[in-house]
Amino acid sequence: MANFSVQIYQNEFLSDNAADVHAVASVACTGAGTAGQMGAGTAAEIIIIDTSGSMDLPPTKITAARRAAKVALDEIVDGTQFAVVAGFNNVEVVYPNGFTLATMDANTRQQAQNAITRIRAGGTTAIGLWVNTATDMFLRSQTTQRHAILLTDGRVEGEEPHVLTQAIARATGVFQCDCRGIGENWDVEQLRRISTALLGTVDIIANPEDLEADFEQMMRESMSRGVSDARLRIWTPQGSEVLFVRQVAPEVQDLSDRAERISPLIVEYPTGAWSDGSRDYHIAVRVPVAPVGNERLAARAEIVVGDAVVAKGLIRAVWSGDVDLTTRIDPAVAHYTGQANLADAIQKGLAAKAAGDDRTATVLLGQAAKLAHDSGNESTTRLLAKVVDVVDVEAGTVRLKREVQKADEMALDTRSTKTTRIRRTEPSASAALPAPGPGAAAPAPAPAGTEPGAPT
Amino acid sequence: MSNVPSVPSSPVVPDDLSTPPPPPPPATNTSLCPNCGAAVVPDDGFCEDCGHTLRTDAIAAAADATPQPKPGATQVTAPTATTTQPKTPCALCGHEVLDDGFCSNCGAKALSRRDHWTEVPRADLAGVCDKGISHARNEDGMALAVGGGAETFSDGRMVILVCDGVTTAPESDRASLAACIDGSTSLLSAPVAPKANAAAVSHWTEQIRICAVAANAAAVGVARTLGNPVEPPSCTFVAAVAIAAPDALSTLIAVGWCGDSRAYWFGDDGDGRQLTVDHSLGTQMIASGMSPAEAEAQPTSHTITRWLGADSVNPTPEIMTMNPTGPGWLMVVSDGMWNYASSPPALALVMLRAAADLGSAATPLAIAESMAAWANEQGGHDNITVALGRINDPGFSTSSTSAP
Repeated sequence: MANFSVQIYQNEFLSDNAADVHAVASVACTGAGTAGQMGAGTAAEIIIIDTSGSMDLPPTKITAARRAAKVALDEIVDGTQFAVVAGFNNVEVVYPNGFTLATMDANTRQQAQNAITRIRAGGTTAIGLWVNTATDMFLRSQTTQRHAILLTDGRVEGEEPHVLTQAIARATGVFQCDCRGIGENWDVEQLRRISTALLGTVDIIANPEDLEADFEQMMRESMSRGVSDARLRIWTPQGSEVLFVRQVAPEVQDLSDRAERISPLIVEYPTGAWSDGSRDYHIAVRVPVAPVGNERLAARAEIVVGDAVVAKGLIRAVWSGDVDLTTRIDPAVAHYTGQANLADAIQKGLAAKAAGDDRTATVLLGQAAKLAHDSGNESTTRLLAKVVDVVDVEAGTVRLKREVQKADEMALDTRSTKTTRIRRTEPSASAALPAPGPGAAAPAPAPAGTEPGAPT
Repeated sequence: MSNVPSVPSSPVVPDDLSTPPPPPPPATNTSLCPNCGAAVVPDDGFCEDCGHTLRTDAIAAAADATPQPKPGATQVTAPTATTTQPKTPCALCGHEVLDDGFCSNCGAKALSRRDHWTEVPRADLAGVCDKGISHARNEDGMALAVGGGAETFSDGRMVILVCDGVTTAPESDRASLAACIDGSTSLLSAPVAPKANAAAVSHWTEQIRICAVAANAAAVGVARTLGNPVEPPSCTFVAAVAIAAPDALSTLIAVGWCGDSRAYWFGDDGDGRQLTVDHSLGTQMIASGMSPAEAEAQPTSHTITRWLGADSVNPTPEIMTMNPTGPGWLMVVSDGMWNYASSPPALALVMLRAAADLGSAATPLAIAESMAAWANEQGGHDNITVALGRINDPGFSTSSTSAP
């Protein structure tokens, strides 16, 4: 039985006339179980492999794709419905025969393995069609938890751009999709649009030999998601405004586009399937101002599974005249604000570089280098080091490298949203400016000049 | 208070600190809150989860606007039938308050009884305990009682406990209230004094000392319940008892204290004095030669040097006694009150102005409420407690109704 919990991290003290409340809600799940085996409906998996002509150039790509598909297939648990689809300018359902999912057992597993061996490359890249096919197959099935892996080596070709856009809209809410790009000739933005809307991840596999391990890990992760659908429900009071709701760990994702208003005061955000683990969300609300000394609830953050609220956190606003209390920034809020700024700086910096605006790119990637360093985000620091030479990390001064491997730039792009977690102690404890990062939070001292403190 | 909405469409929600909550039902003698079912520390006056009052005399006082003499010794807890309290709608907007203690519509925090309550055990004794404005919690505690011993009316002792929780030590609000409750029980159940004046003085001095032991034990008990935290809950302590002297010509007043909550005497003859001397660094500074103004300017001058709690080196009270013959007021206040009017003349002025404004409605309760409201008008930077006992004024103590 899955168990969810919510911890809130915030500085609840607002100065006179302040209205903006920021909090980090850390949501943890344990006991999720195995996908489709928890008595709440069946799971379904579709593996979509790009079999366009370029996958043969070099042939190592299509070989790796076949191997990876087999390895992913092996991770699928008996009883799960599944299919393997080859995508080119058309689609071919490699296994089973036709557009209906098969159910995994010893026989179908062997048959599917054999079918994968027969995959050959040829044709162009109609990604929108592949997505539509998956949507159709999932909708036709009697399943409740749906996931696909999509592999491509190129950008959409031989298909009108609007097809992919419409396909993504159709697929939203139907299945989750993790996207992978092999090599350097695919478009990060195209795959990111899919993964963002379909609650999945996107990444580059620069070397074909790394594909197997990645597919195995993706499918294992999907199979470990015993909770098929959890929603983040945010209540805010009359007269307030949700400024943003953003997932900030393990990746930055702005959830605003997914918001579904279910009542005048309540908005819900789908968060997809859950395995054991935790995700952090940064929630910002603008509330009606109350006089100093008053306390109000700024938001209720709840996790809803099915019809039940399974976990809840309270985000408070306490108006105070004590400057020591109101000027503090909660370490988690500061850290994740920095991580979101980091992701933004990288993406905008790379976009500027691609547009030929080296000056802007240098400034933004310099900011990113500083943010990554200050927040201890070592993996992003390493990725940045392949694209820029760091001159002065404290000042955020960098130089664009003259020769950058395209794959390194794409890796930085796809992984720009990965965040580090903040090391923290007590929930809702505030610490003094300016530090994001670790540190035991001190308890709030008595307001100046009022309460006598017992000497220590 | 000026309230400029930061978003044009967001109305500013007004707040009225003095709106009294509806009277809660009586509590039972169990360790579960009868309102919400949460576990409660047996000596707590209020449920930590929903704010429901657990002490009956506070309840009775709230339900009874007119002070009445109790037919016997006032009990601190009385077993009564459990009643289910209907959920109180939000005081601000009238919508449902959810189990988390906040309104389902406007998010206002449900009023806790602890934020503002009064006690009126008798016509001549009343007190107000208020959260103030700046603090999110009320960490002041208060317990008032009358009567006690084998002979009730003739003894008619007046018992006042005020304890101020130390904000930097978590959960001090639980300690302060527990200390007050156990302290007042101790003084209420103290044996009747011997019939000679001098012996009576010794007797009540000793009873004050015993009262402090009980109060400190309560504070230590709260720390134990919390698992003995590194910073145990702590509070100041003032216990006062006023009782007719054996020769019936005067009232004997005994006051014991730790810390910087204070007791004052204001005689009708104009004799006003502070009965306690703060146990604080400021006092030490003045004792070592600093001028009061200089000492007050030091940021640490309010740091207390004696308190109750598990980490106190010296939880023993300093004790004084006095024997006024003429009428006057015994006042016990926390620093949330005296910080705004510290000297006896200044504090007397606040009281006398309140009484004058009230005219014939100047009961101890009304005066205490008015003084607390005045402190909130000055800024309310701390929790405010004012307890007032009318001394050597037979008209007050035996009448069954207050002056209209």
